[in-house]
Amino acid sequence: MGSQEHLTDLQTLVQPTRVHRSVYTDPDIFALEMERIWGRAWIYVGHESQVPSAGSFITTEIGLDPVLMVRDDDDNIRVLFNRCRHKGAKLSARCVGKTDYFRCPYHGWTYRNNGELRGVPAREGYPETGFNAGDHGLVALAQVDNIRGFVFATKSPSSPDLRTYLGDAAATLENIADRAPAGKVEIAGGRLRYRHPCNWKMFIENLNDAMHPMIAHSSVGMAARSYMKSQPEGTSYPREAEILFPFGSSYDFFDQMGVTGLANGHGYMGGTSSIHTAYSDIPGYWEAMVSSYGEIRTQEILSSNRHNTIFYPSFTAKDAIQAIRVARPRSVNETIIETYHFKLVGAPEEMLERTILYSRLINSSSGMVGPDDLDCYARMQEALCSSGSDWVDLSRYAQQDNQENGNVTGSGTSDLAARNQFSAWSKLMATSD
Amino acid sequence: MPPPDLAQIERLLYDEADCLDRADLDSWFELYTEDSDYWMPVSPDQNDPHRHISLFYDNRLMMEIRRRNFGHEYAASMEYPIRCSHIISNIRIVSADDNSSECRVTSNFQAIVYYKDQNVYAGKYTHDLVCRGGTYRIKHKRVDLINCDAEQGNLVIYL
Repeated sequence: MGSQEHLTDLQTLVQPTRVHRSVYTDPDIFALEMERIWGRAWIYVGHESQVPSAGSFITTEIGLDPVLMVRDDDDNIRVLFNRCRHKGAKLSARCVGKTDYFRCPYHGWTYRNNGELRGVPAREGYPETGFNAGDHGLVALAQVDNIRGFVFATKSPSSPDLRTYLGDAAATLENIADRAPAGKVEIAGGRLRYRHPCNWKMFIENLNDAMHPMIAHSSVGMAARSYMKSQPEGTSYPREAEILFPFGSSYDFFDQMGVTGLANGHGYMGGTSSIHTAYSDIPGYWEAMVSSYGEIRTQEILSSNRHNTIFYPSFTAKDAIQAIRVARPRSVNETIIETYHFKLVGAPEEMLERTILYSRLINSSSGMVGPDDLDCYARMQEALCSSGSDWVDLSRYAQQDNQENGNVTGSGTSDLAARNQFSAWSKLMATSD
Repeated sequence: MPPPDLAQIERLLYDEADCLDRADLDSWFELYTEDSDYWMPVSPDQNDPHRHISLFYDNRLMMEIRRRNFGHEYAASMEYPIRCSHIISNIRIVSADDNSSECRVTSNFQAIVYYKDQNVYAGKYTHDLVCRGGTYRIKHKRVDLINCDAEQGNLVIYL
């Protein structure tokens, strides 16, 4: 396909049950995604506990744009483009810090932590130029909002508000916070940054793809079982085995879990059961929850088990694990996946230890699960660049989607989630502002 | 008591490097004690493997599972040759108990790992060794990569 013709006919690339390979491989389509999807959707920025006091900030990206999330002196969390208004240099190259002022290292333009331009060296050099410091503050993202401390921003002033945009996906973030006896979570335990040589959509699609675990992750289940068999009979299953075994669960198991597609490309697997349901209890946690919420409400909170919730397009969350994975696209064939962990305030520390153990086994670049997923994405990225055939198939259970209240539900191993994501993709990509 | 035998300790470290160079995890595993662990932190100066994420933190159980998964025919990430070249230097015994049965040894390493592409890893090793019956084995190994907090690609073998 020529590089311009597909842009005039994006709708033909995404069909109800198949997509053209170029949506994963074409740099022009990637550039358009940055503008029309990542430039409009609400993108996850960070958690408010990462900026605990006035002047605390982190740096990250929204699409390809470097941004700062900072708590200003008036206690507002702001998301600002990390770019000096003078020559455009990135103001801060640190991942995290605390400052009263951002000072550009090039010519020294200085900004308050709310983004206002405070100082320009040798300002007398701008006589009669019409230069007005008030017009040169750091540019803020068009909208910023948070749900239980999870901060999102969008570059688009015309996007609907965050709650409307997320719909029922927001309930996963509520549930993560509700799982803390104190009703709030804090970021904890460091982060992973994992370089994926693939298009960002492959990662997001995989998180609700239940046809792959029993194939892509079968070796890990076999290795764990083989080890347990070598142990004396009656040896109790360690937590590591509890985490690894469900990755080899049957198609039936994943079908029962179910999958739900929501408006705007969001969705989740499970709901009442997931691969995390059968974990053994951590001493003291139930008691701490009951003393905060009472037994009925505790039961209700803990009965929610969404396997992976997709917050399209930028991140995925596990409510029962208190970990999130954030996609930061770099180019059509490179994506950084960041994993963050949360501590349930008021819960036993052992809960965080389980979160960390899970993440180390599954999400680390040296884990037992992530490397096999990554290798499959890399294989797709490489082979989809060839002209062997043009289409990627998404037709599994396509005729069995149930439409209810604007959501679409189906068996867990359906390709429904990917179809639902591409439906949102098409809508956003079809129009310019 | 005499100080720990540096020559013997160096041989152990070189033997370990040789096992990893040949990607022979079964032999590598024999150099470790029954209660051993292997740790590769993700943050510089990280002091907690339990409440802070790591790239690797394998107890003996996870070493056993990883060894069985290594090279598995059903694992996509294992379908490539892995060949390594480890260089170890600056070996120092930094502490030892009174009867020299346990000691901590630090060293610098550079490892070139051929796995799909050729990658360079460098940093510092800390080995906690125990001597039983005149032979040293590894009870704990910590690998501090100089770029531990960088974006990482797949690393499917111990360094």
